[in-house]
Amino acid sequence: MAADPKGGHAHAPAGASGVNRRSLLGWLSGFGLLGSAVLSAFSNLIFIKPRATYGQPQRFSLGKPEEFPPGTRISMDTRRVCVVREGNKIAAISTTCTHLGCIVGVSDTGFACPCHGSRFDQDGNVTGGPAPKPLPWFKVTLAPNGEIEIDKDSEVDPGSYLTV
Amino acid sequence: MSQDTKSPSLWTNLREMPSNAWHSLFRNPLPADDLGRASTSFTNFFLHIHPVKVHMNTLRPLYTLGLGLISFFLFLILTLTGVLLMFYYVPSTSQAYDRMLDLRGTVAFGIFLRNMHRWAAHGMVGVVALHMCRVFLTGSYKKPREFNWVIGVVLFLLTLFSSFTGYLLPWDQLAFWAITVGTSIAGYAPVFGKEIKFLLLGDATVGQEALLRFYVLHVAVLPLVLTLFVAIHFWRIRKDGGLSRPAEADAPAPAAVKAVEPKQNKTYGLQGFVRGPFSKVGNVPDNTVFSWPNLIIAEVFVLVLTIACILLLSMVFDAPLEEPVNVMHPPNPAKAPWYFLGLQEMVSYSAFWGGVGIPTMFVLLLLAAPYLDRRPAGVGKWFARERLLANTIFITLVVVNVVFVIVGTFFRGPNWEFISPWK
Repeated sequence: MAADPKGGHAHAPAGASGVNRRSLLGWLSGFGLLGSAVLSAFSNLIFIKPRATYGQPQRFSLGKPEEFPPGTRISMDTRRVCVVREGNKIAAISTTCTHLGCIVGVSDTGFACPCHGSRFDQDGNVTGGPAPKPLPWFKVTLAPNGEIEIDKDSEVDPGSYLTV
Repeated sequence: MSQDTKSPSLWTNLREMPSNAWHSLFRNPLPADDLGRASTSFTNFFLHIHPVKVHMNTLRPLYTLGLGLISFFLFLILTLTGVLLMFYYVPSTSQAYDRMLDLRGTVAFGIFLRNMHRWAAHGMVGVVALHMCRVFLTGSYKKPREFNWVIGVVLFLLTLFSSFTGYLLPWDQLAFWAITVGTSIAGYAPVFGKEIKFLLLGDATVGQEALLRFYVLHVAVLPLVLTLFVAIHFWRIRKDGGLSRPAEADAPAPAAVKAVEPKQNKTYGLQGFVRGPFSKVGNVPDNTVFSWPNLIIAEVFVLVLTIACILLLSMVFDAPLEEPVNVMHPPNPAKAPWYFLGLQEMVSYSAFWGGVGIPTMFVLLLLAAPYLDRRPAGVGKWFARERLLANTIFITLVVVNVVFVIVGTFFRGPNWEFISPWK
């Protein structure tokens, strides 16, 4: 084909825009190949994003509300959550430091991070240190069997309690 | 006549087999003349990466300091020791730490191989960084070597990432909390930060999924990508005309070269005029020497020196291994690997700017450097006067980085408070 420039080009009706059949097909196939490459790269991304995680479940139940008497602040380090009960209201505050992911400990004034010295008040608001954001609150619901259930995948506004 | 074309007897074939096999394996005898030296370089698979002749400036030890070669040799050591360590390692949270103890206790040379792998890894991060400084301070990123500089920056980032992924594998306290802190820094990236962190860890926190992912990245993905980029890096050195050198190193043809006066009575072919009346052969100074043996000896010297250093370090210092992971008790302070402590120090001032904003700008500046600084002056000289501004900016940035790393490493104690390392 290329060896016969007369046959290829002279007879092709050169449009006003200068696009002929060969260059159009070239562009289309190039676009198609590039599109396929982008799609397959994207599907690889979907593949490596796990749909199910095998570690600790993000949603778990913590027992009956009676196990948390009013006024308790119990930090469950394995779950990385602190269960707070005031009167008949229950909430769950994250104990993962928003700075660099260490576990904050319960202190007199709220929470304190041992790694880089971030401090939070009782509601998880930052009162000092490098933490950029307050500790998130997680959704607490009452499961049909009467146990409280915490879903770490859904954050709620600070101050949202479950009334039991 | 018939005697000559007769095929040799089986006996002769057997008798000559060792020498025939040898000569089919090595096409050239050890070279005794220049033709032999040239063919040694280009007929040997392992040597043909070299040019047949190499510029004398390339061989000046104080010009390159051999830093690129040392990086490559450290990568070779890391690959070899890494493959050996893979024979005993299991990427499982319940077994990884025990396997580390096994390396210490039961595996022959286990602790020694782990030491070599660890010190070569730290060394590679440092030497690659120094290599980058050398290339910048000699202005070697300039045209036509712009893109090789870009590949070099990518190689630097890949080196950091390889070292970072390897950090988690022993599954001790140091590993766990360094990666917890390190991936949290990644989480500060805008828009995709949380996604990147989740993809890296395969879970919300560092656990079995993260260990498996880091293992696959560390032993398969990153070495392959690194090898590919190293190949391109080396290939482009050749295609960009060898290592950079000052313009004076290629002295112009001296004025003594005499033009050949066309003689009236002689008939010239067309080519005689096309080539011009100058006779350059033997009249232009040749600043190149044969790669075999000049370059090869230099390389072997650097290789032996590198191996010797790593062996010595591995004999004297043991790679650290702390307590097994305890998710409940972060060490205070929890520190990232040393080359990320500058980042962590900056993160303690501002999470976004320290962890993402400034590092991203720094990398972009590095990548764009050869396209921002287009002046051709001062190439091939350390600290060239013509490059005072560029070099000053670069050295300032490097010193700031080093200071942050030193502060983060030695001057930060519990709660990331300032401490004095001399107490």
